Amino acid sequence: MSQTKMPSARQRRLRSWLFWAVPAVLLLLPLATNPYTQFIANGILISVLVTLGFTLVIGNLGQLAFANTAFFGIGAYASAILAAKLGVPWLLTIPLAGAFGALGGFLASSAALRGIRSYYLAIITLAFGELMRWAYLHAKPVTGGTDGMPMPRETLLGTSLSDDTLKFYIFLAVTVLLVKATLNLMRSRFGRAVMAVRENEVATASLAIPTARVILVTFMWSGFVVGCAGALFARHVGHVFPESFGMLHLIASFAMVLVGGLGSVLGAVLGAVLLTALPEYLRAFPGMEELFFGLIVAGVLVAMPMGLASLLRRVSPIFVERFYREAP
Amino acid sequence: MPEPLLKIRDLHVGYGKKPILRGATYDVLPGECLTLLGANGSGKSTSLNAVCGFVTPTSGSVLFDGTETAGLPPHKIFGHGIAQVSQARDLFPDLTVEDNLRLGAMRRGGKALSQTLAHVYDRFPRLAERRRQATRTLSGGEQQMVAIGRAMMSGPRLLLLDEPSGGLSPQFCEEIALIIDALKAEGVTLLMVEQNLNLAFRAADRFIVLRDGAVVDGGDVRAMAGDHDAIVRNIYL
Ligand SMILES: Nc1ncnc2c1ncn2[C@@H]1O[C@H](COP(=O)(O)OP(=O)(O)OP(=O)(O)O)[C@@H](O)[C@H]1O
Ligand SMILES: [Mg+2]
Repeated sequence: MSQTKMPSARQRRLRSWLFWAVPAVLLLLPLATNPYTQFIANGILISVLVTLGFTLVIGNLGQLAFANTAFFGIGAYASAILAAKLGVPWLLTIPLAGAFGALGGFLASSAALRGIRSYYLAIITLAFGELMRWAYLHAKPVTGGTDGMPMPRETLLGTSLSDDTLKFYIFLAVTVLLVKATLNLMRSRFGRAVMAVRENEVATASLAIPTARVILVTFMWSGFVVGCAGALFARHVGHVFPESFGMLHLIASFAMVLVGGLGSVLGAVLGAVLLTALPEYLRAFPGMEELFFGLIVAGVLVAMPMGLASLLRRVSPIFVERFYREAP
Repeated sequence: MPEPLLKIRDLHVGYGKKPILRGATYDVLPGECLTLLGANGSGKSTSLNAVCGFVTPTSGSVLFDGTETAGLPPHKIFGHGIAQVSQARDLFPDLTVEDNLRLGAMRRGGKALSQTLAHVYDRFPRLAERRRQATRTLSGGEQQMVAIGRAMMSGPRLLLLDEPSGGLSPQFCEEIALIIDALKAEGVTLLMVEQNLNLAFRAADRFIVLRDGAVVDGGDVRAMAGDHDAIVRNIYL
């Protein structure tokens, strides 16, 4: 695929219109759900942010860093601890959890900035995730240890925050905001520099582009997005446990990144939607769920190595992202 | 004699214990094109890399417009207005032509950038036609244009060209000569390494010859016109 068609001006306008049309339609979703499907829909929104943050680092920046679940856990625990121990209103804990996630991103990037790359970076960031899990388990006075951290009851505008419809609207607002912000960031000069670092770090540095800052900011933004998702997750499940932030979560997010399309914002959304919803449909086949899940993931990747987003790109250039690289 | 833009004094560069440049000394005058000649492995690329900071000299001085740049990191030197088109070209093959060009001017923005971009497209109409194409799909000559164009994007005062004709056709050499003329007319100073003597003598004002890590010969290109043999003997024998 040597030439990727770029969207025309008209198509770009259509695209920005479409961007707002999707959440506008989703505002009506609670009319069509039951409590169970509403809960699933809320979980999908969280997955979208988790996958988005992940794909930024491994896809756009091209760093084999697997600290994503660590950012997620940090965000969730930050939210739960701030809400339960310090009485911070949950809504306020979202950006604060994001800030803690960004701090996690800063720590993870410090490995990359020391010149640690590829498999070595992978193993160090995996260790970071396991270390965080160890901390959740052993810092019992702060994290509740194996008992986890319950979220306090809270109301917003007279509605209980355990109401899934209310949560949906809040989650949707946060998700749309962060997806839009990420799209803008990746479309800017900064996004071009991110891609240049992935393609050829030495050449990028020789053009006086501060590669260390590019790496740092990308990791921190990724941590922020996933940290915010952690705060949503804490409210979503109502009780934060260490087990939620293990290897299984990491692998599931990795699959979402790949199935959607590595390094694509659109792909992050598609991968998260498909792979979060899929297990719910597969419940109809007890005993076969994992098998079917695995087959579907493998099938998508064989048919579309560049993920679901590549399918849409073929349909229309509207879906071509600035600075997305099609594999040769 | 005008004051040199670049003054290289007693420059020593080595890789590990192996010395490559051993006391090279030469000047580049403002607005001229100086060509470095020398056998393969004589340290021509190493010279350019020492000027733009890709390698750090062990001793000696590189004065650019009165500022000592020896030992500065590449991005600082780039900021002073020295850009290199390296022998390997170092493009971003999967990015479009335009992204490659824009990456050459990350530090600048807005109007200045779009003016320079328009200027580069004026100079290289072939790039304008291929602006949205992945750079790896371009021919070798076109990729060399991208590399030169990207170096121009930063508005350098000194441009280092390492074998611009490498692997390219004679027609393309003539095109490079025209580009060098145009750059000089804009006041850009050039320091070039070139093995193709036709191009070297067509485009340069002066030349120097490197051997054993030092400058052994040099002179005015016009004075040497028609006597390439003498130079060839001096370089390669
Ligand atoms: N990074 C490096 N590490 C070790 N040795 C090097 C390195 N780069 C160059 N050299 C050695 O330094 C010497 C000079 O290399 P340089 O690239 O400057 O030569 P050159 O004059 O540009 O040659 P050519 O005409 O073939 O491009 C060579 O012997 C080369 O093997
Ligand atoms: Mg060389």
